[in-house]
Amino acid sequence: MEVTNNFIIGEIMDNLLPLTNLQEGEKGIISFIRGGRKVIQRLTDMGLTPGTEITVTRHAPFGPIGISVRGSELAIGRSIAMKIFVKRK
Amino acid sequence: MEKRLRIALAGNMNVGKSVIFNTLTGLHQHIGNWPGKTVEKAEGTLHYKGYTIDVIDLPGIYSLSTFSIEELISREYIVVEKPDIVINVVDASVLERNLFFTLQLLELGVPMIIALNQVDLARKKGIKIDHKKLQKILGVPVVPTIAIKGIGIHELLDEAISLAEGRIKLTPLKVKYGKNIETKIEKITKELSRFEIRYPLRYVAIKLLEGDEEIKKMVSKINPKVIAIAKKYEKEIEHTHKYPCSTVIASQRYNIASTITKNVQQLATQKIEIAERLHNLTTHKFYGYLIMIALLAIIFFTIFSFGNFLSGILEDIFANASSVFEKTFGTSAIAKLGWGVLEGIIAGITIALPYILPFYLILGFLEDSGYLSRVAFLMDSLMHKIGLHGKAFIPLILGYGCNVPACLGCRIMETQRERLIAVFVTTLVPCAARTVVILGLVGKFVGIEWALALYGIDLLIIFVLGRITFKVLPGEPMGLIMEMHPYRIPHLKTTLKQAWFRLKDFVCIAFPLIIFGSFLIKLLEVVNLLEPIGNILSPITVGWLGLPSIAGILLIFGVLRKELTLTMLATLVGTTNFTLILTPIQMIIFTLVTMLYIPCIATIAALIKEIGWKKALYITIFEIIFAITIGGIALRLFMVLS
Repeated sequence: MEVTNNFIIGEIMDNLLPLTNLQEGEKGIISFIRGGRKVIQRLTDMGLTPGTEITVTRHAPFGPIGISVRGSELAIGRSIAMKIFVKRK
Repeated sequence: MEKRLRIALAGNMNVGKSVIFNTLTGLHQHIGNWPGKTVEKAEGTLHYKGYTIDVIDLPGIYSLSTFSIEELISREYIVVEKPDIVINVVDASVLERNLFFTLQLLELGVPMIIALNQVDLARKKGIKIDHKKLQKILGVPVVPTIAIKGIGIHELLDEAISLAEGRIKLTPLKVKYGKNIETKIEKITKELSRFEIRYPLRYVAIKLLEGDEEIKKMVSKINPKVIAIAKKYEKEIEHTHKYPCSTVIASQRYNIASTITKNVQQLATQKIEIAERLHNLTTHKFYGYLIMIALLAIIFFTIFSFGNFLSGILEDIFANASSVFEKTFGTSAIAKLGWGVLEGIIAGITIALPYILPFYLILGFLEDSGYLSRVAFLMDSLMHKIGLHGKAFIPLILGYGCNVPACLGCRIMETQRERLIAVFVTTLVPCAARTVVILGLVGKFVGIEWALALYGIDLLIIFVLGRITFKVLPGEPMGLIMEMHPYRIPHLKTTLKQAWFRLKDFVCIAFPLIIFGSFLIKLLEVVNLLEPIGNILSPITVGWLGLPSIAGILLIFGVLRKELTLTMLATLVGTTNFTLILTPIQMIIFTLVTMLYIPCIATIAALIKEIGWKKALYITIFEIIFAITIGGIALRLFMVLS
């Protein structure tokens, strides 16, 4: 476990992948998020807390990812989604 | 003795807050901006059962953390202005996430009522909420409402009055975190209790642990020691839970929201609704873009052909005005000045009514229906290359017709920083008036390839300046994190009212400017200062840009009405065969400068409305200098190459 200035905290496990690797329809459990305080705060406020289940609803080819979380659908930019690490469910 | 109440509406975005606001205030409302900020402010008044009630619609936010201006505004308003009642508008179809915000309001200790809105939409999703149970758990009144049908609004007001008159006692839920965190909160609270703080102490303690910058600033002025203590606890919590402290607290808060939701919500299986099908279609990898292009084309041509049609009618009405005026008032200097003012008023009307009102209406429909977020979804990656967000796509496209609605349309951007970049970039888009010059001067007399090249250069400049602004502007840029709520039919009355009041606010800024500009130019004409001024500017126009000295007068005129530039030129030189006075290179340089320099006065007004005087001035000055610089460089490039 390590605490870094960039708030990268979490367990490094084998079955963790970035959100962008999930296909449409697949579910994942949020493990940890990389990024600055602002982005993490915003994602957390929208419901992406560790242990939360999310479902990927749509993928634009080079675009944002649509995910369903806590009953609503969010569009997350690719650069942010790449830093959201989930356990495939 | 007049009974007065102040009510603030608070809640997430897209929950129907503005529908409730518009239902309550009718036509007694005013839309402007929060002082010094680019965030929209809506306030209004109503009279109900002997009370005069002032209602303010706070910006839609997801949390009371202060990373965004909107959150800061809402929080400060509640704590400093102390409204008598806060109505927390909650979307029944997304209860869990909405409760996350509700719990924070409870921690803030405000007298509050919950409007459980959109219960009809919830039902369609198969969601049923036991509002009485929710009321019992939260300890504050919960009133089910369907704002678009006006259901529950009276009950909401009655509860508010009962609360204000003390006939209801609130027993607000005390949000309890894990034991480990609670002990730390209590210790910080104890430290704080020795000081005078306008926020509830427990709230301050929690916010310190969350690392809230504004609260930290406030407390460090009173007692810096507490900051150090909180920091220590923050690290301890991080160490125990293996996540940043703010994440831990937010997680636990969400757990509570989740538990409450499970307790009061019943889920039935839902069938795929039209709304869902439409959503899939409009975000489809192929059809989504097809639909978007089609819709945008329709919108574009609707606004501008309807605008032209209406504008034509208005022009016909005013066509005789100048001769009537002359007959009545003569042609003295004073009369001419009077006409200048009148001309300004007429110009303002022929811009605002035919174009801006329909634009606000259509934008309102796009936003409230939910389609705008789908466009943002489709276009975000492309827009990001320019340093903008997906939502900026529509204002940008509108800019090719007219910069004014494009600039005003940037209000849909979600943060102040994005709004600023978007507004700046839209002023670089060549509007119809500039197209008139590009095609009518360069296209006609130099060659269509050159006209197209100019459009290309403009695109390049947008790309480069957009990216630079994105990197250079202070504040942290953030990628797309946006909710796509289910499609719904916008509430007609609300959309109409919002369009009307936004138009009013714009007109109040634009008209004085347009009238003043028109008057000023007429004044210069009457006292024969136009030519001298043209000569004063000749070091720039002739020396640096290589243009004839009349260019100076033209460029000044262009500030008022760019589309009149060529007409003005024809008047000044007595011919429309411009090759007699301008060489091809001069035509290109002139068009280049016209394309890039100061947007017209109406655009400046729109800039002022959206981003304030100071920033509007910076952008204006920058664009003048930029256009002249580029023009001069282009001239020298031509000379070197030929």
